[in-house]
Amino acid sequence: MNPTMENAIIEARDLTVTYGGNQALAIPHLAVGRGELVGVVGANGAGKSSLVNALLGWSRGAPRVTGTVYLAGEDISRLPTFVRVRKGLLLIPEGKLVFGTISVEDNLLSVGAIEAKGRHLYSIAEIYDLFPRLKERRHHLGAELSGGERQMLGIARALRLGPSALLLDEPSIGLAPRLVSTVLATVRQLADAGLAVLLVEQNVRAAIEVVDRLVLIERGRIVAEGPAAAMRDDPRIAEAYLGAHAA
Amino acid sequence: MNLAQQLLNGIVLGHAYALLAIGWTVLLGVARLVNFGHGQMYMLGAFVTWYAGARLGMPYLAAGAMAITAGMVIGYIMQRIMLRLTLKQDLVTIMIVTLGFGYVLQGAAGLVFGSTGQILETPLSRIDIYWGDLWFTWQDIAIIVVAMLFFAALKYVIEHTGVGRIARMVAEDPALALLSGINVKRVYLGVFAFEGAAVALAAVMVAPRTPILTSMGFDEVIITFAVVVLGGIGSIAGSYFAGLALGLFTAFFGAFVAPAYTTAAAFAVLIAVLAIRPRGFAAAPGSR
Repeated sequence: MNPTMENAIIEARDLTVTYGGNQALAIPHLAVGRGELVGVVGANGAGKSSLVNALLGWSRGAPRVTGTVYLAGEDISRLPTFVRVRKGLLLIPEGKLVFGTISVEDNLLSVGAIEAKGRHLYSIAEIYDLFPRLKERRHHLGAELSGGERQMLGIARALRLGPSALLLDEPSIGLAPRLVSTVLATVRQLADAGLAVLLVEQNVRAAIEVVDRLVLIERGRIVAEGPAAAMRDDPRIAEAYLGAHAA
Repeated sequence: MNLAQQLLNGIVLGHAYALLAIGWTVLLGVARLVNFGHGQMYMLGAFVTWYAGARLGMPYLAAGAMAITAGMVIGYIMQRIMLRLTLKQDLVTIMIVTLGFGYVLQGAAGLVFGSTGQILETPLSRIDIYWGDLWFTWQDIAIIVVAMLFFAALKYVIEHTGVGRIARMVAEDPALALLSGINVKRVYLGVFAFEGAAVALAAVMVAPRTPILTSMGFDEVIITFAVVVLGGIGSIAGSYFAGLALGLFTAFFGAFVAPAYTTAAAFAVLIAVLAIRPRGFAAAPGSR
């Protein structure tokens, strides 16, 4: 199910990212539809993070980004990051993804000024239903949370802002295997609830179990793309990422 | 030499120092920024108040409001000019730019207000109060009251309101704040406007205690720096107590040892304190 431009929630055309003269990413076209979960896999340094960051015009470094990004058909490429966020494009970045010096509950209080037309802003109560663990920890500081709890809080913070598209950058990194499947199952649930989800993962074996489509990136370029079932049998995926016995 | 009088002087001076430093405390706490033009902004606040009162005949409150508005505008413009540096968190360049900005303000103030000293009189500073053998003015009382109210209000806003939460988020991680939909640029502009307004308020309250000169900015920025560092960078309560401690130290040292060496002695104490507690009063001993 390759979404056409009409039903794509997030779509990028001719997206390039350059760091000090070195091109890190060149993507001619990428789209994620409503309720679709697309996995982006590839080796370390392949450009996966550059891709999701570029969709928001955001980075902790100083890259140059060109190309066009559409959110539900609207060209958002010229908008500053915080406006894209308010319009419903949410990124849960890799590494530091929650505020450590404020409480879990303060992390979850929204900042207002969200253009929530036709989007669902999760209430705090809904968040605590989805992640009971966060309710238990609500008075703790963000910095006191475990890796898994931080991922939950990162996702929860995004849900509070009413996403129409959710970008997750390596949510499984550093998590115990059982937690990885819990987090990915939650992500699947959110896609089934209607969100467009782009999931960056190094853990291909875990990702392929939940995604609808898989995009393989190497050295900043898409080298393979297709439905999860088909990609499982693709030799480039099977040999390099799943190990020989999975082929 | 009266002990109670020195204690009173120290308390008044301490609240004056705390008030002087509060703008920079917030600036450092929220935006991780410095403003070495802070002292000259104080000077300008004092001269605007003086000019509005003595030359334009405006009442003290109106003159003060005018100075605070001018401070806010100058703070905003200053940040507007350096916004790119701020977003890059290029501290060294910001230090130089703000230092330069301060001297531009000083030169401009010299041109407009002249280089002779002036006395900034207010209806409160003219009324002496004698209480036993203690002497003070209503202006002294007003400094203490305004400083206490301002610190209490600010602490409440930072810790218990939405604006405060946003400020704390930007302080911790501006990049992550963007991903929360926060307009970080506007927060930086707002913080600098606040810094300008706060230092102008300090000038309106404190400057009537001493003659004012267009060249007085540097001394003020040095005191501010000492209070902010001693208080534990960016801590509001820490700044309050650091200001008070520095005020008491200055009063007693000046009275019992030698007024000429108070600044030198204050910095000797500052160095000693920082050697023992590198993060100032606010940090618990042994914390990082």
